Amino acid sequence: MKRRNLLKALALCAAVAASTGSTGALADTTLRVFSGGANQRPDLMRKLFDQFQAANPGVKIEIETGGATSELQRQYLSTVLNAKDSAIDIYMIDIVNPAQYFGAGWLEPLNAYVGNPADAMKPFLPVYLQSNVVDGKVAAMPGFADAMFMYYRKDLLEKYRIAEPKTWDELAAASKKIQAGEGNPNLQGLSIQGAPIEGAVCTFLLPYWSQGKEFNDASGKLTLDRTAAVKGLNQWLGMVDGGVIKRNVAEVKTPDTVNEFKAGQVVFAINWGFAWDRFQADNDSTVKGKVGVMPLPAMAGGKSATCVGGWQWAVSAFSKNKAEAAKLVKFMSTPAASKFLAVEGSLLPVYQSVYVDPDVVKAVPWFKDASNVVIAGKSRPLSKDYGQVSDVVRTTTSAVLARTKKPEDGVGEIESRLARVMR
Amino acid sequence: MATGASMIERMRDPSEASLGMLLLAPAFLLLALIVVYPIATLIFNSFFDLRLSGGGGMKFVGLENYLLVLKDPDFWNATWNTVLITLITVPGALVVGLGLALLANLPFKRQWPVRLALLLPWALPLAFAGLIFAWFFHTEYGIVNDVVRRLGFGGEPTMWLLRPGWAFAAICLTIVWKTSSFMALILLAGLQMIPRSLYEAAEVDGASKGQQFWQITIPMLMPSIIVALIFRTITALQTFDIPYTMTRGGPGNATETLAMLIHKTTIDYLDVGYGSTLAVFMFLLSLAVTAVYLRRIGRQA
Amino acid sequence: MTIPRGRSLTLIAAAIVVVNGFFPAVWILLTSLKTEAELVSKPITWWPHNPTLANYVQAFTDQPLLRYLGNSLAVAVLSTILSLVVASLAAYAIARLNLRRRQLILTCIVASSMFPLVTLLVPIFQTMRSLGLLNTYTALVLPYTVLNLPVCTLVLVGFFQSIPRDLENAAMIDGCTRLGALWRVVVPLAAPGVFTAGILAFVNAWDEFLLALSLNASASMRTLPVGITLYQGEFTFPWPIISAALIVAIVPVAVLIAVFQERVVGGLTQGGLKG
Repeated sequence: MKRRNLLKALALCAAVAASTGSTGALADTTLRVFSGGANQRPDLMRKLFDQFQAANPGVKIEIETGGATSELQRQYLSTVLNAKDSAIDIYMIDIVNPAQYFGAGWLEPLNAYVGNPADAMKPFLPVYLQSNVVDGKVAAMPGFADAMFMYYRKDLLEKYRIAEPKTWDELAAASKKIQAGEGNPNLQGLSIQGAPIEGAVCTFLLPYWSQGKEFNDASGKLTLDRTAAVKGLNQWLGMVDGGVIKRNVAEVKTPDTVNEFKAGQVVFAINWGFAWDRFQADNDSTVKGKVGVMPLPAMAGGKSATCVGGWQWAVSAFSKNKAEAAKLVKFMSTPAASKFLAVEGSLLPVYQSVYVDPDVVKAVPWFKDASNVVIAGKSRPLSKDYGQVSDVVRTTTSAVLARTKKPEDGVGEIESRLARVMR
Repeated sequence: MATGASMIERMRDPSEASLGMLLLAPAFLLLALIVVYPIATLIFNSFFDLRLSGGGGMKFVGLENYLLVLKDPDFWNATWNTVLITLITVPGALVVGLGLALLANLPFKRQWPVRLALLLPWALPLAFAGLIFAWFFHTEYGIVNDVVRRLGFGGEPTMWLLRPGWAFAAICLTIVWKTSSFMALILLAGLQMIPRSLYEAAEVDGASKGQQFWQITIPMLMPSIIVALIFRTITALQTFDIPYTMTRGGPGNATETLAMLIHKTTIDYLDVGYGSTLAVFMFLLSLAVTAVYLRRIGRQA
Repeated sequence: MTIPRGRSLTLIAAAIVVVNGFFPAVWILLTSLKTEAELVSKPITWWPHNPTLANYVQAFTDQPLLRYLGNSLAVAVLSTILSLVVASLAAYAIARLNLRRRQLILTCIVASSMFPLVTLLVPIFQTMRSLGLLNTYTALVLPYTVLNLPVCTLVLVGFFQSIPRDLENAAMIDGCTRLGALWRVVVPLAAPGVFTAGILAFVNAWDEFLLALSLNASASMRTLPVGITLYQGEFTFPWPIISAALIVAIVPVAVLIAVFQERVVGGLTQGGLKG
């Protein structure tokens, strides 16, 4: 029932979009959409596209899916866009990419279609005003959100009568107590991602941000506080020495954290929002019903902060159907679309209001806890050279966690390499 | 004016030179399309400051990119890694390949399992060989550390891919495993061409096995060895897939090769001008290293 | 070197070669029978506790594996044929005709492999796009042919040189034209070499990843190596399923090699890589 209502609402929405937009008298436009990889749920996107097609006769939407990881997709898109390929009209891109792609002249500014940036972005989570607006132009519209969450084993914290830790040191102490009490040598206190993948950028930023420091200012200039950065990395290394984080953390990728938490080998785990379903719904999960979510701890005296992720819709600058494409992008970023993705696929909404929508709360109860985390979330450094920024930060962080570099040297390297790029 | 009849005659039996042109045309057409034109683009771009992140405007900078490359520690690091990988894995694959070929050349009743074993690593896609070996060397889930543990070497497991030296060694080992297969294939063919009579004659003369190996097998194999070395060297200088899948060039950039640096600069950093310049340097390096071999084929062809 | 008579020595030799060649494949095979939960157990297990074929079922249902298999086969076969045609024409010219500068010609062809395709990715993409060939078999067949040209040409030059000129001359005295002699005498005699070069080309094309990822990205045109990476998610790395898919990818090539192994080695032997 609920589903049908939702679809009805969407159809209505699409119809309105169709009637208010320019009546595309030129029949039979085919829009090709790059719809991410399997994790970005092309199956659900297809349903939304079908709605749009039904309301806009003459528009046909074709989906193209890409590599599974953000890095594989970036590699592919860089090749396609580098060659100014007009075959694809709309791209679904990672939150870190609008600045880079817009800077390269690959994305069509959307101001003409969605209005001025401040108003267009107002209903969305605050982070999008930073991430999707570049040089006063709307580069992309939010599709669905994601964020780094702190998952924990509710049952174990209750067993040892430990409250949700507020600082990293409290978390370390809690872990040690539980690890000692359980006496299981395979039980890790905290699992973070230290392999040189995109997630390691967040691994670097989380303890740094939680000291109230910023990586860059509004104009994108690097404002790295070396002392705080070193302190952040040392926080992780201290936890490795204390046995809270495992020694080979520099090998840990996102799926490793998920699988080990699922297997009951982890007390606290930092991971993206998708992980919730893996923990709670997967057949081979041993932690069903024992999982809690809480805001990330901070450094003593600092405040909690997290890394926001998620996916955006953007119109290719080389598209031959920009008007139609922009209309579809607008449709995909409506509250109704956001709600549909939340209810059907547990994808985090991009509208604050959707988190408290009764249907959403009923379908995905934990979103209630999630909303505060996401609203307080920050975006990773915004740069036209994000590819380079990300590479430098994650490679160095991983090397420091592997102890092939001292934190001081690593931070020095980040600063000297990025000072030229982020100015 | 050629008459129609003689035209047809010439078509049916063209002169050496024009027949040569005709036969070589498809190869050179393809090379022009897939290699020459892209290389020309690359060389052209290397003289420009062409960073797509800046909106893609081109600014002619002459040789500035070239000077920057020479001063770039990342370039020297990647070059050193590439050369080191070549120096280790080319002889490594030759020795292992020769060993495998000698073993496979023994008279087995059933040849196919041996031959299949010899050829299987060659048939496994590079990228997957890297993935699989990365998994073998994983600290917790890898079979290497499991064997170490089962053999009773307790203590902390070694983190193979997180220590620069070990990571480098693991990558070299994987490359040797993967490439010695093709080496062995070519050498095995060479071995089978050596007439048995040579060994029989040597036996009569009282030559030892060692003498036979060094004085008959190796010299007779030389042509095959040279061919195998040429291709192995060229591919070793281009090493990309295996370190990319095993370590991503890590820890830090301890295992980054030139091909990886070029790929990163162009695709991730979108710095096309500088990436092109790096590629030109890589080409010069390949040219220098393989010139020796090429002279040799040139002489023999 | 004479052949050791000891049966045990021979067996040890065989064992070394077989273990070296097979162990990753065997490990993958064992993994493909395990569950994902078993994979994170510590210490790791060697033999699957509860062997299951579910991963194979999932490998075929999660992704259109048969389609990828078909694409890989089509691209590999087409590029092998094209490589052979182009390379044997060129090799014949180099080996048999009185061309000036033939060393230079051969050098040029071999030197063309010195530029790694990785660095040429963007220009090649641009070329294919302007020819309207993206997401077609041709987009991969052309670069793969070039990729294989050096090794095929080199093998075939050696082969053509080993065929006695007299045979060809005799055919021409009997009234064949030059091309007729090439077709009727040289090509049949060189068949083993052509075959060997063909297998080399086939395997190279079967393995290629980066170009296939960039040039043929649309779902219906993906090749097997690209398709297999898609089982991996941003958030998941299902080794058992990937292993199952890998086994599916390795088997055709392994069968091909097992059936033709005699001729792969034999082909190289008869013509001889003359270097």
